[in-house]
Amino acid sequence: MTVVPKFPVAIEVDPIALEIIRHGLQSIPEEIEVDLTRTAYSPLIYEYKDYAVGLVDAEGRLIAMPRGGIPLFLANVLEYAVKDGLRYYGREGLEPGDVVLTNDPATLGQHLNNVVMYTPVFGLGGSGDIVGFMTIIAHWTDVGGRYIGSSASTDSTDIFQEGVQFPTLKLRRRGEPVPEVYRLLQANTRFPEQTLGDMEAQLSGCLKGRALFEAMIVKHGQEQVLAAIQAMWQQSEAGAVAAVHAIPDGTYVAESFLDDDGVEVGKRIPIRISVTVQGERMTIDFSEVAGQLKGPFNSGAQGGGVTAARIAFKYLTSPSDPTNDGSFRPLDVILPDGKFLSAGPRAPLARYSAPLASVVETILRAMADAVPERIAAGHHASFGSHRFHGHNPRTGALFSHLDTALGGWGAGRDRDGSGPLKTMTHGDTLDVPVEAQEAMYPLTVEAYGFRQDSAGAGTYRGGTGLIKVYHVDASCNLAVTFERFFCPPWGLHGGSDGAPGYVEIERPGQPRQWVLKASDIHLERGDRVFIYTGGGGGYGPPSARDQALIARDIAEGYVSEQAAADVYGRRS
Amino acid sequence: MFMLAVDTGGTFTDLAGYAPDEGQIRFTKSLTTYGDLIDGIQDCIHKADIPVDELEFFKHGTTLVINTLIERTGARTALVTTRGFRDVLEIGRGNRPNPFDLFYRRDPPLVQRSLRFEVTERMDGRGDPVIAPDRAEVVALAEQLSAAKVKAVGISFINAYLSPAHEERVADWLRDLLPADVFVTRATALSREWYEYERAATAAANAYVGPRVRGYLSRIEQQLKNDGFAGRIFMMGSMGGVLSLERTLVEPIQIVESGPIGGCIGAAAYAEAMGLKNVIAFDTGGTTAKCALVQNGHFAVDPVYYVGGYDRGFPIKAAVLAVVEVGAGGGSIASVDEQGRLSVGPRSAGSDPGPVAYGRGGTEPTVTDANLLLGRLDPAKFHGGELKLDVEGARQAVVKRLSAPLGYSDEDSFVRVAHGILAITQVTMAKAIRRITLERGQDPRDFVLFAYGGGGPLHAVDLAREMHIPTVLIPPEPGVFSALGMLLSDIRVQDSVTLLQPLNEAVLPGMEQAYQTMEAALRRTLESDGTAHDVVFSRSAEMRYRGQVHAVETPIADIKDVKALRRQFEEVYRARYGHADSVNPVDVVTLRAAAHSRMSRPDITRLMQLPEPGSQPAFHERNVYFAEAGHRPTKVYQRETLPAGFSGEGPALIEEYGSTTLIGPADRFTVGSLGEIRVSIGVEDRQARS
Repeated sequence: MTVVPKFPVAIEVDPIALEIIRHGLQSIPEEIEVDLTRTAYSPLIYEYKDYAVGLVDAEGRLIAMPRGGIPLFLANVLEYAVKDGLRYYGREGLEPGDVVLTNDPATLGQHLNNVVMYTPVFGLGGSGDIVGFMTIIAHWTDVGGRYIGSSASTDSTDIFQEGVQFPTLKLRRRGEPVPEVYRLLQANTRFPEQTLGDMEAQLSGCLKGRALFEAMIVKHGQEQVLAAIQAMWQQSEAGAVAAVHAIPDGTYVAESFLDDDGVEVGKRIPIRISVTVQGERMTIDFSEVAGQLKGPFNSGAQGGGVTAARIAFKYLTSPSDPTNDGSFRPLDVILPDGKFLSAGPRAPLARYSAPLASVVETILRAMADAVPERIAAGHHASFGSHRFHGHNPRTGALFSHLDTALGGWGAGRDRDGSGPLKTMTHGDTLDVPVEAQEAMYPLTVEAYGFRQDSAGAGTYRGGTGLIKVYHVDASCNLAVTFERFFCPPWGLHGGSDGAPGYVEIERPGQPRQWVLKASDIHLERGDRVFIYTGGGGGYGPPSARDQALIARDIAEGYVSEQAAADVYGRRS
Repeated sequence: MFMLAVDTGGTFTDLAGYAPDEGQIRFTKSLTTYGDLIDGIQDCIHKADIPVDELEFFKHGTTLVINTLIERTGARTALVTTRGFRDVLEIGRGNRPNPFDLFYRRDPPLVQRSLRFEVTERMDGRGDPVIAPDRAEVVALAEQLSAAKVKAVGISFINAYLSPAHEERVADWLRDLLPADVFVTRATALSREWYEYERAATAAANAYVGPRVRGYLSRIEQQLKNDGFAGRIFMMGSMGGVLSLERTLVEPIQIVESGPIGGCIGAAAYAEAMGLKNVIAFDTGGTTAKCALVQNGHFAVDPVYYVGGYDRGFPIKAAVLAVVEVGAGGGSIASVDEQGRLSVGPRSAGSDPGPVAYGRGGTEPTVTDANLLLGRLDPAKFHGGELKLDVEGARQAVVKRLSAPLGYSDEDSFVRVAHGILAITQVTMAKAIRRITLERGQDPRDFVLFAYGGGGPLHAVDLAREMHIPTVLIPPEPGVFSALGMLLSDIRVQDSVTLLQPLNEAVLPGMEQAYQTMEAALRRTLESDGTAHDVVFSRSAEMRYRGQVHAVETPIADIKDVKALRRQFEEVYRARYGHADSVNPVDVVTLRAAAHSRMSRPDITRLMQLPEPGSQPAFHERNVYFAEAGHRPTKVYQRETLPAGFSGEGPALIEEYGSTTLIGPADRFTVGSLGEIRVSIGVEDRQARS
């Protein structure tokens, strides 16, 4: 039978065999992901989804990644981790049964809690060449450093204060555990049970994924599988190219800024980004973003700038397609060294992810005039992490409870903003139930509800932010990271900004303390913590809003009568 | 006496009726009547000539609850929460399952904000009361509710899973204060498990459907009584058994899923009769394929169910039989996207317009079209000849919409592509089977594939071959098997409570007591319904390693020995995840108890009247395409002519009303004494390939 490919697929692979192999490859990391979220010990993995499972080829290029983990690992962290291993060991130095781990900040550019584990997959049922790697990155609960949880720091000034580095170590050699490495890991975490438990879940995921990939190669033949992978990349590339092509050519610029880096308090961090679309290529240029910061809001090039560019590119070009190496081929990133998104190897990185939602949406904002139907107004963009830690008097054990903010998202051209949701750099990340918090930690949540008038007004208004009130039941410490207070979620095309998020602390007999970033606020029993989260920006002039929608918002209590009069000019 | 089951499904209303004296079952089918669902039921009853006045019971499955929730046609509903938490229902868990959708939005909550009210009350995180509710405040609330003209009220308080006293008190007061036709429900009456959003959503959903279900059931009851009905009504419950009418009126959310459940119960009954321990119930209809596990007569149950799907829907904390559903059925559409990728489903042509071959305006090729082009369906005999199939139309659609864009240019490429459609469909179905087995630590090779629904028998044999499942069973009447299953269903009620304690000696008495309390309550429920017959209790517990959140359901036999309990947990854990830890402390999160009460039911060994043993069935031959063998002359049998004990070799097709069984060239089949077809999957091609 002759096959005349209509599409520029240079590799000969039967289109039906290709579909069957594609389904098979995609379901390997999907299956592992389900196992990982069920066997992990830490809520950061099973609820927060701070992990990614990826199947990569012999050079680290992404073959398949499910959509369950958070978007922050879309970029090349898996690829660069594997490349680093290949550089250290060479192909011949990686043997069947080896398992490698790394959190090397110079390679990954993310905080030290993010540990990549991978194992080589050999062809011919395990006796041939390396055909790929099964990789899993996961956020470990604690890897040492000054603060409980390692990445809770908002004031560290170099990487060494933030924990221990594992610069590509073999956890297993030819299937045998390396006891020295286990001892090293055990000795460097405050929560050995949780951390090593998560590591075991990660390890069994790697091993099971490897077996599944090997079985696929046996079933379908190595050549055919490798050819199918090439074809998958080319097809995803073709989809992305078509999407870029549909955007009008031009150079688009947007600007925003972050509040500060926690160390040089009050010093704004400019984010000026230009996006150039020319034919089938898109270039995202970070040349004018702020330089490396003193405080821990830096990221490395791969884990920072390139990641943010890829997330934005994915939002713009192929939101519903599975992600692989081909998805990003039409994208160029200009990122000079020494920016806060391409920081050097010793830079503090603890809060590396906090700025990225703002970077992503600044890229999107640049496109607001080019593709107005696809770009929403600004979202709350703040991780708004609040972490309580200390001794639980009920159990006598150390506890660390992290939650992050849900806030409003921006309005679009024809709809109100959505929410409350986490940020653009989160995905299927679950908020921690109040009942779970109260059962496990010495905290009482007194209220959790919408924050009236926090949404940016507009023809379509933003999503509404929240207020959460904690009552502290036993003395403990609090770390918070709120962002975008001074550059609140922006409105578009005449819409108003949303209200920004912040934290207030109320101690009996004292005026409330207002906080955006802090690493170690001491709290006593009876103190209260008020978490205010941001609303989304509005779209279009408020004066053009449908009166019926304004009336509904008042009746439902999202907007007050006063605000309706002030902002929308409504008379009651 | 007569027994009757009617299953109202999306397209058809199916009936199965049985009179022990006759010893034979009556089946019929009518189109579901959306104007008034009861018309379709009456239609079936008349068609099958069922003597309503002789009915012992009427069992009924319906899509009423799920449709009411999805189409948002329920009552005007209010939610009452702890002060400070009325927005729980709208905040949800803040997650975005579609991470790259900039406009992601969850389906709106069932109760809008202005109908969510707060009461000053509080239990703390240990279940100790902090603030008791005040009746004066609730009196004022009742006035607000009346003024708002709500017809249903859900009540859900923070930490009530630990102590429901405040919820109970406020519910009693509101029942007292509100007009009798207002449906009042509280969350902890439906679920005693933690997580406030999930429980509040459950209470809201139960309230939302309550008045409509009440109206529907009272009309059914009235109409049946008008026809002389003096028996009892039971409703098909989502957890794998029927519920009394009375319990359904209080907890309508328990019947959120019904159709797939009947089939699973039928599969379990046949498995028991044939002495099979492990069965995968596999049901393929027009739009989806569904599968569920039946092990030693037990079903796996999911503790949470998403109305409208996980991506955008909302959760219900009600035990629903664990069913994995994928978008692969007869109407699933095959298409080629802009990047030249061939996909099949989840879009479906359904029954209107249906596949291209139906000639009712469908233009996109479907799985049914592919089966037709490969000779697996008889164009003249589809649905007993009620519908003539257009082979040429189907061929042209495949060539134009698939072969050409994929780059195939040969004249005969449509065969290759049609087979490709089925191969991709099979991958999707295989994924469902992998999920239902492997994710529960089961090996599909240890199971029998039990296939029914219109399309199940057509795909089961190839699917079994792919999954290395050695045996396929096709029950009698696969096309109306759900109704048959309902007829065989027993009564089942269940309860659960969150314990959240470490597994140690100290917790054992508390566990035992909690189970006994639940079991006593379940028995009281059955007794007050007058349905307690040979009641059997079963216990399980969700357990986990300390620090994990996902717990695994562990069967509990005996609560005397911590070591034995731990061993049991580790066994389940290891089976599921491949490893277990013998050191880490274990927590007991949730205790579950179920009560099972026997109902009189047909004797399935006598359901079917088969032809005389030894009689030789007639057959004809036609060319059918097989992946490994190409086109082969294939024997075509009519199922009603096959006697018990008959055996044959593939390739073969066995046709009957509403379904066709495909048997491959390397396979063998026999007809069993219950009328079931048992296919032994051949291994030649597997050996040839490796």
